[in-house]
Amino acid sequence: MIAYTRASTRAWSMLGSSGAFGLAAMELPELDSSVAILSADLSFFSGLDRFRAKYPERLFNIGIAEQNMVCVAAGMAKEGHKVFATTYATFASARSCDQVRVSMGYMQSDIKLVGLAAGLSVGILGPTHMSIEDLAVMRAIPNMTVVSPADCTATVKATLAAAKHKGPMYLRLTGVQNNPTVYQADFEFTIGKAIRLRDGDDIAIIATGTMVHAALEAATLLAERQIACTVIDMHTIKPLDEAAVKETLGAKLLVTIEEHNKKGGLGGAVAECLALVPRKPPQLVLGMTDEFYHGADYHYLLEKNGLTARQIAESILASYEQVLA
Amino acid sequence: MTNLQKYTKAFVEAFDVAEDALPTLVYQAVPSWDSVGHMGLMAVLEEAFGITLDIDDVIDFSSFVRGQELLRKYGVEI
Repeated sequence: MIAYTRASTRAWSMLGSSGAFGLAAMELPELDSSVAILSADLSFFSGLDRFRAKYPERLFNIGIAEQNMVCVAAGMAKEGHKVFATTYATFASARSCDQVRVSMGYMQSDIKLVGLAAGLSVGILGPTHMSIEDLAVMRAIPNMTVVSPADCTATVKATLAAAKHKGPMYLRLTGVQNNPTVYQADFEFTIGKAIRLRDGDDIAIIATGTMVHAALEAATLLAERQIACTVIDMHTIKPLDEAAVKETLGAKLLVTIEEHNKKGGLGGAVAECLALVPRKPPQLVLGMTDEFYHGADYHYLLEKNGLTARQIAESILASYEQVLA
Repeated sequence: MTNLQKYTKAFVEAFDVAEDALPTLVYQAVPSWDSVGHMGLMAVLEEAFGITLDIDDVIDFSSFVRGQELLRKYGVEI
């Protein structure tokens, strides 16, 4: 039984989101006796060593064959299994796009595709392993649910929620080991229901994945300048919590932040949601610029994209001053 | 509770090992001290001693004895 204590949330943070997923996976057979997990030769990286030791009959290493893994997952799902399939986010989304589209989305297979190391976290391995467009790919496929937890505690909650969810889902895991912690205790996590973490009348910040913690820090920096920010954890990109988005219409500036290409991700989803709303705040979209990056350290790449808390606060402040001018 | 008692308790509870096995205990010597168990131990030690471990020290924390040496850097004498 998972305990949401300060020590356990800290341990999950140190493990990183893949390790947190692996720990949560230990609970899955108790929730659903049909659970099986597939790995594209990443069972250690996926934090699944303990799962393999305890449930060897439920873990299948498909090899470095991600497209095949999705098809195997679809076959198993059609035979009644609740299947979690895990691999690097970019191989889950870009490489396996057609298999996801047909064998998950079109077939409405009960598969939870876990995209490990999404965003820039394996930046050191270069552009082939960075995943900067997976949200765009996944949210454009009909029937897909797309979830991006804010931290390792939320990763545990999202994994358990995924086990109860029917239908195809993409679970996007961001961050590295020693992932900043947003949630240090148990909290209510409902797929499709955003979480308001901070209230403020001036600016509304909607963030997802690792950027939720950065958004909270940026809001603290802006508060020192007497600028009050609402911060929303939009952990579900699809279906988007449109009501939560529309609750921000009273702000003078709306900001979206994501560890993803600025095109096609959370920023786009929010803009689409508000496209026909006549009176709305201008929207500042923060994320990664539309280019491929050379291999580099995660934190360096975040800084290069202006995604540290200090840089985010500066960008928001600059836009806010323009709005007020 | 002394620091040694806190330190010993953390190991015994994290890995379900006998106290007399601790002086020679090293990372991965028992199944429970895997990468997951390691992070759990680190979190418990942080809470017990009110410290935050640097990631380099988390990685270097390879045995019961080595841990005692590393904790001195944080003002924790065991």
